[in-house]
Amino acid sequence: MKTQAISVQPQAASKAASRPNACWRFLSKLFREKRLGAIGAVVAVVFLFVGLFADVLAPYGMNEVDMGARLQAPSWAHPFGTDNLGRDLLSRCMYGAQISVIIGLTVAAISTVISALIGIISGYFGGKVDLVIQRFVDAWMSFPGLVVLIVVASVFGAGITQIIFTLGLLIGIGGSRIVRSAVVSVREDMYIHAAKSIGASAPRILWRHVLPNVIPPLIVLFTSSVGTAILAESGLSFLGLGVPPPHPTWGGMLSGNGRTYMLQGPWLALAPGICLTLVVYAINVFGDALRDMLDPRMRGSR
Amino acid sequence: MKLTAIAAVARLSVGLTLGAAAAAALAQEAPKYGGTLDVATTSTAVTTLSWDLADWQATLQTRDTGQFYEQLFSVDLTKAKSRGGKYSFTISGWQPTEAIRGELAETWNWTTPLTLEIKLRKGVKFPAKQGVMAERELVADDVVYSFNRMNTSAKRTQGYYDHVDKVEAKDKHTVVFTFNKFIADWDYRFGNGFFSGIMPKEVADAGAGNWKNVNGTGPFMLTNVAQGNSLTFSKNPVYWDKDVIGGKEYKLPFVDRVVHRVIKDETTQHAALRTGKLDILSSISAEAARELKKSSPDLKWNRWLTTTANRVALRVDTKPFTDVRVRRALNMAVNKQEIIDKYYGGEAEMFTFPMHPEYVGYHQPLKEQPASVQELFKYDPAKAKKLLAEAGYANGFSFKMQVCTCNPDQMELMPLVAAYLEGVGVKMEIVPMEYGAHLSAMTSHTNAAGYLTGIPDVNPTTSLRINFGKGQVYNAPMMDDAKFDARVAEANGERDEKKRQQILRELTTYVLDQAPAIWMPAPYRYTAWWPWVKNYGGEMFVGAGRFAPIHARIWIDQDLKKKMGY
Amino acid sequence: MQTYILRRLLALVPTLFIASVIVFVIVRMVPGDVVDLMLSQNDAGSNKLTRDQLLETLGLDKPMWEQYGIWISNLVFRGDLGNSLWQGDTVVSMIAARLPVTFELGLLAMVIALTVAIPVGVYSAVKQDTAGDYVARSFSLLMLAVPSFWVGTMITVFPSIWWGWSPEIHFVPFHEDPWQNLQQLIIPAVILGLSLSAITMRMTRTMMLEVLRQDYIRTARAKGLREMLILTRHAVRNALIPVITLIGSQAPILIGGAVILEQIFVLPGMGLLLLDAVNQRDYPVVTGVFFVVGLTVMLINLVVDLSYGLIDPKVRQR
Repeated sequence: MKTQAISVQPQAASKAASRPNACWRFLSKLFREKRLGAIGAVVAVVFLFVGLFADVLAPYGMNEVDMGARLQAPSWAHPFGTDNLGRDLLSRCMYGAQISVIIGLTVAAISTVISALIGIISGYFGGKVDLVIQRFVDAWMSFPGLVVLIVVASVFGAGITQIIFTLGLLIGIGGSRIVRSAVVSVREDMYIHAAKSIGASAPRILWRHVLPNVIPPLIVLFTSSVGTAILAESGLSFLGLGVPPPHPTWGGMLSGNGRTYMLQGPWLALAPGICLTLVVYAINVFGDALRDMLDPRMRGSR
Repeated sequence: MKLTAIAAVARLSVGLTLGAAAAAALAQEAPKYGGTLDVATTSTAVTTLSWDLADWQATLQTRDTGQFYEQLFSVDLTKAKSRGGKYSFTISGWQPTEAIRGELAETWNWTTPLTLEIKLRKGVKFPAKQGVMAERELVADDVVYSFNRMNTSAKRTQGYYDHVDKVEAKDKHTVVFTFNKFIADWDYRFGNGFFSGIMPKEVADAGAGNWKNVNGTGPFMLTNVAQGNSLTFSKNPVYWDKDVIGGKEYKLPFVDRVVHRVIKDETTQHAALRTGKLDILSSISAEAARELKKSSPDLKWNRWLTTTANRVALRVDTKPFTDVRVRRALNMAVNKQEIIDKYYGGEAEMFTFPMHPEYVGYHQPLKEQPASVQELFKYDPAKAKKLLAEAGYANGFSFKMQVCTCNPDQMELMPLVAAYLEGVGVKMEIVPMEYGAHLSAMTSHTNAAGYLTGIPDVNPTTSLRINFGKGQVYNAPMMDDAKFDARVAEANGERDEKKRQQILRELTTYVLDQAPAIWMPAPYRYTAWWPWVKNYGGEMFVGAGRFAPIHARIWIDQDLKKKMGY
Repeated sequence: MQTYILRRLLALVPTLFIASVIVFVIVRMVPGDVVDLMLSQNDAGSNKLTRDQLLETLGLDKPMWEQYGIWISNLVFRGDLGNSLWQGDTVVSMIAARLPVTFELGLLAMVIALTVAIPVGVYSAVKQDTAGDYVARSFSLLMLAVPSFWVGTMITVFPSIWWGWSPEIHFVPFHEDPWQNLQQLIIPAVILGLSLSAITMRMTRTMMLEVLRQDYIRTARAKGLREMLILTRHAVRNALIPVITLIGSQAPILIGGAVILEQIFVLPGMGLLLLDAVNQRDYPVVTGVFFVVGLTVMLINLVVDLSYGLIDPKVRQR
């Protein structure tokens, strides 16, 4: 055990030098062994790109009403067709990607930070701190997320900031349990006892030992939060609590005009529906592959 | 060759048979008893809130309690358009005077200008209800009791019955109302409005809020409540009313059961109608109607103009809307005709707020309005810009407009309106709000300069007052016009209906001209029902939110239903 | 063990009450109070007198802390959650009418989820990285990615046009007519169950994979034990742990009600009760539902934690 504690130092030095190499190795391993995950990653990146540059890429405006071109089937002029107000569906889907990217990434970021903070503090310090925090987590988790969202929408108005904040909080607190159990499993490990016994301070232990074990589940949480957030927004749109117009969201398009004109213009639902499903699917597949590759329990078993 | 000839003969004979059947149908086929009527009403998305009339909850109460609690007045359904009359009976807030028929009241007359004597029908019975009451006849005391109970309820609207001094039972079948002043909507307030149900004392004693106790003289009795899903009513075996079909008199109701379905989701409503799980779907959007006509061509249809038309209220007490020119300019800047043609696909019409075309005598069509009103409905951006410049806003201005997220149609329409306004340099910032918050902004008079709202379906006199009267609930434009208020009050006290209609027509023109709102077109909606629903032509209301007598007259042709495969 | 249960139950109490205070306050903070909504229904127009009268009748004119005090004491001493402001019915009776529906839906969904997820997850783990594994995982991920309201809508609309069939919309309680009741509940239960199964399946697979690599499995194999025996006796039992965790974490959805499915399939459940109550600002109902849902979820989590003790001997020591 003493050897392990000492050998941490030189490894750290060599790690710093080989970080870009590690990235490269990781990517090549991904493409070689986890093909599905690789495809997922590529798809997700494509959507990310489209979302970021929607303003430039979209052929029409997001709200360009053209009453003369209502409900047209896909054509060269409008590859995804037009909706009941003559707006180009392809452009709206691109802007929808923009919102999904914003919501997905922001919520994932917020929720991951919250999960990490709560999970680590609760898991590492244990005892009374853990007890109290977990009771709050329990209380919070027993609230149906929907009602929290409705109440927030009512008190602070319906808007994208409120949705992001509330979703981040809800998903984050839920994810903290997973982080906590990862921390707890490490805490019991022998070499932490050892590190403590030689007087290592808590932050050092957290940084050196706990964090590396916690990062894999955090990464997985991050990717799954993106999908959850995008899906949650679509559910909210169905109930009328999603991101309000004029900005189009896939969920809003799907649950609004997509359902109303489902029989006269199926492309109104197919386009955003496929985008939504594809992105969430791709992200989840990528997240799965990531987890398979990062899970220390899986490493070395092949 | 031969086959074709046979086929032709076969076709001919089928055609002749069908023709004969059709002729027979027109010649009033004999109604049959039995069956269940499944209905989704115009408010099918909302579940019942209270069974106790003393809770003073409008709309939903009369929808559901109206099946068993009857009122003094309803309408003569033989005057319906579908039976050759003039009226379509699709609005709930008001019934044409010449179509009024006494329901529990048989005759009524004014013995003095302020005393109304009502003679009740004889032989109207409350059915026996286990644990509540035995079968007995309706008497004048029941009317007196019901009125007093409403008037002393802790939840009543203060001042609603101030015009009534007292209500007494002169004898077993005569009720005397003593008024202290005449108001035009006296019959609406207690007669055929939202708070006019007649209930027996026994129900109140047993507990009026419990659905298991309710019992009235109406055609149907409440037998099951699946809160949030459906209400089941069964035939009242001792119901008093009769209908005449093909010269013969029939005891009502025909059907054994009526089920009111509570379905929030529109696609579920349409699917249920398509598969025959609903016999009548009362409120369908024009878009959905178009599609349903294709997928279920056998359905029968009735079109009606929505009773909750929209307006973008402009606060007349806030700059720049203090200037009438600005308000008129905004009206001219919006291409309302294009909205009707393109956005609503032709399924809408210009609406002269707040008078619905069915307010016969009170409504004056647009083409009869003075030129200055008509020009508000014509698209003229050049003139709009000129007016704005005259008012000092050549460079335009911006304002906030609050809209409710609960109405997706409004949410979609508003960016369109904003685009039109931008064409004259005016920027309308859309502020979406959640339902309760949105409503509250108006009722607490803290709404923004622009506020989108529908107007409620009430009677013509009340309509002008609550939408534009000072301090009134629906007065989102914050109009404060003392002369206007005085004239409305004058109309309210005017006994002569013709004179009253004249005053109200003038006032409507005045309000339209003043443009305290951007007047928006009102869309059509549809009612659909299956051919096996007979003796029905799409009528919806006999009084405020109430339609029990209509359902009582419907009979289900169960053989036809089976033949059609449902 | 018993002290553990007792401690956990006691820990519930402060949590619940803090939660109740928060809910109580937040719901009343929401703009647009119930009196406004009630008065807006009244076409005759409201005035201040009516407003004050209604406030007093509904007990809303008292200060917040007093209202809370009344509510809490009613709850603790009489098990009374108050009355709906609109209906006058007791909140308890309203919840009692809706909770069984939500429960039944949740239970059915859970059964379906587990029936699908566990065998598929085990299969997927045993046949890791084969075509079968990929298909299973892809399918389950697809289940996760398609929004439930979309599946529900498609099931409602298309069969009605193609085959003249639509899902059952008439509700009868289970004890009155089990067959009719199930006809209405089965489709939303399947939709809910399949999406739950996706999560469960992946977790089962992961745990199985981990367990299969453990030393004691290798030992068992070395000893010559039959594969099936190894699977059932050792592997599956351990794989159940995260599954149970999952049940606990999904409890809010199952108890709070799957609002979207309730709306599409006309199910009178807790979700719609809550949604309607919030829209109508029916404070006692909202507070009551929150409370009951919270309590039920916490109890479920307690049961979940206790069952760990049954399955994982390491936990029992505590």
